[in-house]
Amino acid sequence: MTSYVIRRLLGLIPTLFIITVIVFSLMHLMPGNAFQALIGLNPHIKDAAKVIAQRTANAGLNLSWPQQYVNWIVNLLHGNLGTSFEFQEPVTTLIGIALPNTVTLALTAELIILIIGIPVGVFQANRVNKGFDISTSLVAVFLYSVPGFVFALFLIFLFSFTLNWLPSMGTVTAAVPWSGDLGDRIQHLILPATTLALPSVAYYTRLMRANTLQVFFQDYVRTARAKGLRSTRVLFRHVLRNAIIPITTQFGFDIGGLVGGAVILEQIFTWPGMGELTINANLNRDYPVILATTLIFAVMVLLGNLFADILLASMDPRVRYN
Amino acid sequence: MAEPLLKVRNLKTYFISKHSQVKAVDGVDFEVQPGKVLGIVGESGSGKSMTSLSLMRLVPGPQGRIVEGEVTFEGTDLLKLTERQMSDVRGNRMGMIFQEPMTALNPVLKVGEQIGEVLIRHRKLSKAEAKKQSIGLLRSVGFPRAEQIVDEYPHQLSGGMRQRAMIAMAMACQPKLLIADEPTTALDVTIQAQVLDLMKSLKNKNGTAIILITHDLGVIAEMADDVVVMYGGQVVESATADAVFDDPLHPYTKALMESIPVIDQDRDRLASIPGTVPSAANFPSGCRFAPRCTLAQESCHQKMPELRELKPGHYVRCDLV
Ligand SMILES: Nc1ncnc2c1ncn2[C@@H]1O[C@H](COP(=O)(O)OP(=O)(O)OP(=O)(O)O)[C@@H](O)[C@H]1O
Ligand SMILES: [Mg+2]
Repeated sequence: MTSYVIRRLLGLIPTLFIITVIVFSLMHLMPGNAFQALIGLNPHIKDAAKVIAQRTANAGLNLSWPQQYVNWIVNLLHGNLGTSFEFQEPVTTLIGIALPNTVTLALTAELIILIIGIPVGVFQANRVNKGFDISTSLVAVFLYSVPGFVFALFLIFLFSFTLNWLPSMGTVTAAVPWSGDLGDRIQHLILPATTLALPSVAYYTRLMRANTLQVFFQDYVRTARAKGLRSTRVLFRHVLRNAIIPITTQFGFDIGGLVGGAVILEQIFTWPGMGELTINANLNRDYPVILATTLIFAVMVLLGNLFADILLASMDPRVRYN
Repeated sequence: MAEPLLKVRNLKTYFISKHSQVKAVDGVDFEVQPGKVLGIVGESGSGKSMTSLSLMRLVPGPQGRIVEGEVTFEGTDLLKLTERQMSDVRGNRMGMIFQEPMTALNPVLKVGEQIGEVLIRHRKLSKAEAKKQSIGLLRSVGFPRAEQIVDEYPHQLSGGMRQRAMIAMAMACQPKLLIADEPTTALDVTIQAQVLDLMKSLKNKNGTAIILITHDLGVIAEMADDVVVMYGGQVVESATADAVFDDPLHPYTKALMESIPVIDQDRDRLASIPGTVPSAANFPSGCRFAPRCTLAQESCHQKMPELRELKPGHYVRCDLV
């Protein structure tokens, strides 16, 4: 198992290499230049052209692309992601702040997805085409078809503006004694995490319902009944244990996706995460930040896939570590 | 004769949907004597599996329903029990094994757990005791390395081994009745013989009665004490195995007997009876075998024959004999 994980991790390296090359090329194909965006439009800077030329040279942007790429890789291998053009701070520092916020958001959303999606799907399948199944299925289709930002606005309107129950901005309340408490943080998490989770809750519910129904008709479930097992044991040990396997795979695939999917929602909830950082960096042609965030999204997706495979291998004895 | 272990009377199991009514089992009667083997034969679609699932009350719902009848097992009508009481019977006093050992075992649970859970459920054993007994059971069905097998998963076993494991599971609580629905159809010929031998020896050791369902008259000849021949969801002939083989009365049974050589040659079962089994959704109004019967007369197509006792213990559903 351990050697399998190590082999798989090593296997990620070529993929990552190709991703960096593609991102590097695309980034340089974007029109404009970082310092043009930062300095050129600022009327307070005299002699802007000279400053731009100076900083462009300092940043090594006059070198050939392959040379720039090699420099970047060498620095990366030393754990140095460069310095943000915009903030004049090491990119690692910026990411050190943004990434944990985004991961917290994504993991909380995943938790909500699994805690609601699995039981509801199983319960629907257990009483298929009865009242609960039909009504919740309708809700699920609705949730799945409405875009996330619409929910964001609706939930903010309802719970923040109208009821004033939950905050809709940032990760903590500023300038209060309890600022940054666990409770304070959780309160700030609820709305963005729920919004992020809702479409996936719907999707997982449908998936779980379909899987469970499918397993219900398997021969081995009939065997379990023929042994006189209690219906709870049949459901939880025989049906669920099989129906949940595709869910865990999906879950692994989605982890990376959720981190990326939070980009727009972070803007709406002014959540200081990777989304904000990425959008800013792209608007300002902040090359080191663009490269770093893209790399991290890619790593997240790849690790998510790896995690999915490991989960699958540990849940399904028929899968071999080859 | 002693009181039968199982008495089935006028059993009817239908699949009812808005548009159709499939009479999979349509008024079946038979009895199983304690410690004896009852063979049920018939072509595909004649209702053998649905009959056996009805005895266990495992007919696939919600469409499949036992609409009428009595299934008296050790003096109680199983159809009158609550679901909970019925689950005390299943796997405990009445076990069942199925045709497909590939799919009948849960792929993600260890063989030992799947056997042990029967003992935990009905014998209230602890996990450790159940595992110990599972090893003993596996050994009794012919696994030499039973200690390892308990910790293996079904996909690590061959088809024959899986069917042995299924038998160990069904026999764990030493049931009075074992229902085996084509237990050897999916297996190689040599393995078939081994599995049948195993069932025979377990029967002799524990005194378990067996309902053995099969297409294969050769298997019936070897195993069965009594035989029920099914056609179109009904019993068309039932008697002792000797009577059925020596003196078959129903034209369908006779046709089956004549098809035996074909079975042996190329295993193309029962191919020598021309025509096909009528659809259970749309039976002919008279005798269900009449359209394929070489002796059929005008009256056969009009009136459904009754199951009549022509000789003591020998029942036939045909008005011509
Ligand atoms: N789920 C179902 N819905 C509707 N009809 C069904 C269903 N299952 C079985 N039937 C019908 O019930 C009848 C009896 O089927 P059954 O499986 O008992 O036959 P069988 O004698 O066991 O055949 P085989 O030898 O192929 O196993 C068939 O006509 C079949 O079409
Ligand atoms: Mg069958």
